[in-house]
Amino acid sequence: MIQNLIDGVLTGAYLSLGAIGLTLVMHILRFANFSHAELLSLGAYAALVCDALVSALVPVFAAKLGPLSLTWALTAAIAASMVLTGVSAVLIDRLVFKRLRDKGQELSMVFASFGMALVIRNLIGLIFGLSPQLYSKDIAFAVLLSQDPLILVKPDQVFVLIAALVLMMILHLVLSRTTFGYSLRAVAENPALAQVNGVNLSRTIMAVWVIGGGLAAVAGVFYGLSHQIIPVMGRDLVLPIFAAAIVGGIGSVYGAVLGGFVVGIAGNLALVILPSGYTPSVPFLLILAVLIIRPYGLFGEARA
Amino acid sequence: MPITKLTRAGVGLAAALAALAGAAQAQDCTTKIGAVLPTSVDWGRPIAETAQFAVDQVNEAGGAAGCRIEMVLRDTQVDPKVGVDAAKALVDLEGVKVLLGAVSSGVSMPILTSVTVPGEVMQMSCCSSSTAFTKLAEEGKTGGLWFRTFATTGVQSAVGAKVAKDQGYGSVAILYKNDDWGQDMARLIAADFAAVGVDVTASVAVNDGQPSYRAEVTEALGSRPDALYLALYPAEGTAAVREWISLGGTQNMILANSLKSDDFRDSVGLQYLGETLGTDTASPRSDSADAFRAAYMARFGKEPNGPGLANSYDAAMIALLAMEAAGQDASGADVAAAVARVTDPGGTPVSADTAGFATAKGVLASGGTVMYQGATGDVRFDANGDVSAPAVVWSFTDGGTEEVEFLSLHDVDTFIASLK
Repeated sequence: MIQNLIDGVLTGAYLSLGAIGLTLVMHILRFANFSHAELLSLGAYAALVCDALVSALVPVFAAKLGPLSLTWALTAAIAASMVLTGVSAVLIDRLVFKRLRDKGQELSMVFASFGMALVIRNLIGLIFGLSPQLYSKDIAFAVLLSQDPLILVKPDQVFVLIAALVLMMILHLVLSRTTFGYSLRAVAENPALAQVNGVNLSRTIMAVWVIGGGLAAVAGVFYGLSHQIIPVMGRDLVLPIFAAAIVGGIGSVYGAVLGGFVVGIAGNLALVILPSGYTPSVPFLLILAVLIIRPYGLFGEARA
Repeated sequence: MPITKLTRAGVGLAAALAALAGAAQAQDCTTKIGAVLPTSVDWGRPIAETAQFAVDQVNEAGGAAGCRIEMVLRDTQVDPKVGVDAAKALVDLEGVKVLLGAVSSGVSMPILTSVTVPGEVMQMSCCSSSTAFTKLAEEGKTGGLWFRTFATTGVQSAVGAKVAKDQGYGSVAILYKNDDWGQDMARLIAADFAAVGVDVTASVAVNDGQPSYRAEVTEALGSRPDALYLALYPAEGTAAVREWISLGGTQNMILANSLKSDDFRDSVGLQYLGETLGTDTASPRSDSADAFRAAYMARFGKEPNGPGLANSYDAAMIALLAMEAAGQDASGADVAAAVARVTDPGGTPVSADTAGFATAKGVLASGGTVMYQGATGDVRFDANGDVSAPAVVWSFTDGGTEEVEFLSLHDVDTFIASLK
């Protein structure tokens, strides 16, 4: 039981990071982006390539950091992957979503995002193959915290949790303390009015994609670090991430953070209550329960 | 009168042409058989190519039941809905009386119950192993139309239990894929473990396509078993096993044949698989199996190492032999009834190639029976259309897998009998 709770919090860390980007895009661009989870795959694979490059160029960096399977090479790769994924997100927006935003309706955007998800997923499969890949072949053993009740924690996952919390804190400061954060919220509230007040709309949208893509990249790498990197990881993660964003309330960054942890914990605790075959239903039950009680999510607000 | 002459000549010519066409039809008629196989997945295509190989050999021997055979192949995408649509199209539009396939039990089953049995078409699967078919046949719901050349899951689960017993494991936890095959496997292996006196501490279903298998692994780990039994596919198997080992789970593992994969070995890491033993059904150590291997090498330029290849070849060959035995314009039920005539232990032995098929034609034409000696040995179906098979216990090595123990058909049958 305690083990399940701890696992849930650790799983929640990368779900939260993924959900933040999703909720920002959904709120500011006003469409459900089903290709968002593919940005996680993109980030994870970009980091895989960068990691191999850095390790080959500077072999010293390939050494492991303490008990973690993380290396300096991978740390550098994460930074590079954030940039690459952010830029890819902007490119995808320019190529596909921007054109539809100008002409089409909200629904065409949603369908386009489904299409984009398929394109990205299959391109990754085409390039890297369908088998799982790993940042480190070695298995990082868990540390035994307590024998009875049995509590085991993997150092990597603790790192993931701390790093995720730090990133969320930075994002919080940017959104709440800077002019940029203010203009971002203004655009979300009312794009036309924000423009009248001198906010550059297209640059703000670009920033949203860069932030969303960057966080997705980190989430993807963290997922890969905790589990494995596989082309279908976006497909496997899209529902939990959507659940997190919806439970938290669309548009609320704090809601997304909380939603991620709620979905993570619920997924891990589900096994205590349900037979193991039925656990995938838990995120949906959670969405239903939350939406019945709070139709706009835990932190969401109705908007005109 | 020129006009009459011309007309007569015309009529004569037309009659001659019609006669010619008629003769051509008698020689070159084509009988279609259907195949529903997962050609869109990498391991499915060789299975289909091997079936086509058998069809080609039969056509070299002049076809079956007086006609050339054309195998109409449709993709199942390992999806029951797609598979049923494909089978339905083959039966209703192409009018096939014999259907080869499918691979996964979850696809073969709906095809059997909703297409081939209602349509009275014989279905012969190369690769479906679920015991649900045995149950269905026992209830008389397959109408004798169902056959498979792949041993049931029962063989593999029995050998899994034998491994646990031989290794002296006192308790085992089970992780199984939450599909027809996995559920079947988990149920059988739990019963077999109990029969050999091994405790099952937990049996946890694993749904594929989950972002994390941590909770499932934790559940299995809680009981601290001596060993772990895995009935998973490589994708979720890799994730679950890495999770298991990282959490300090035992490296004593018993694997179903689905994890006999280089991807699995490489992703988990050979250094963690030293204590791992796998089970699989095996080709018999017989001349006919060697002959198939040689013929396959000659045709495709590589060893028939993928899953279900020998089985696919035998499925196609036996189906075509049965068509030959049943004669022209036979119904699906006639062909199914004729299977006994071509797998008769007392019949004339025929080899699995063009010459063998030609021999069988002669014997069958004179009213005799034949014993087909195929790529998987002397195939013998029981009353439910099931076959048994020899088995191997294997372990991972640098280059792939190596055999630890070979259990002949007799050993397997004796051990299974001892479980009951």
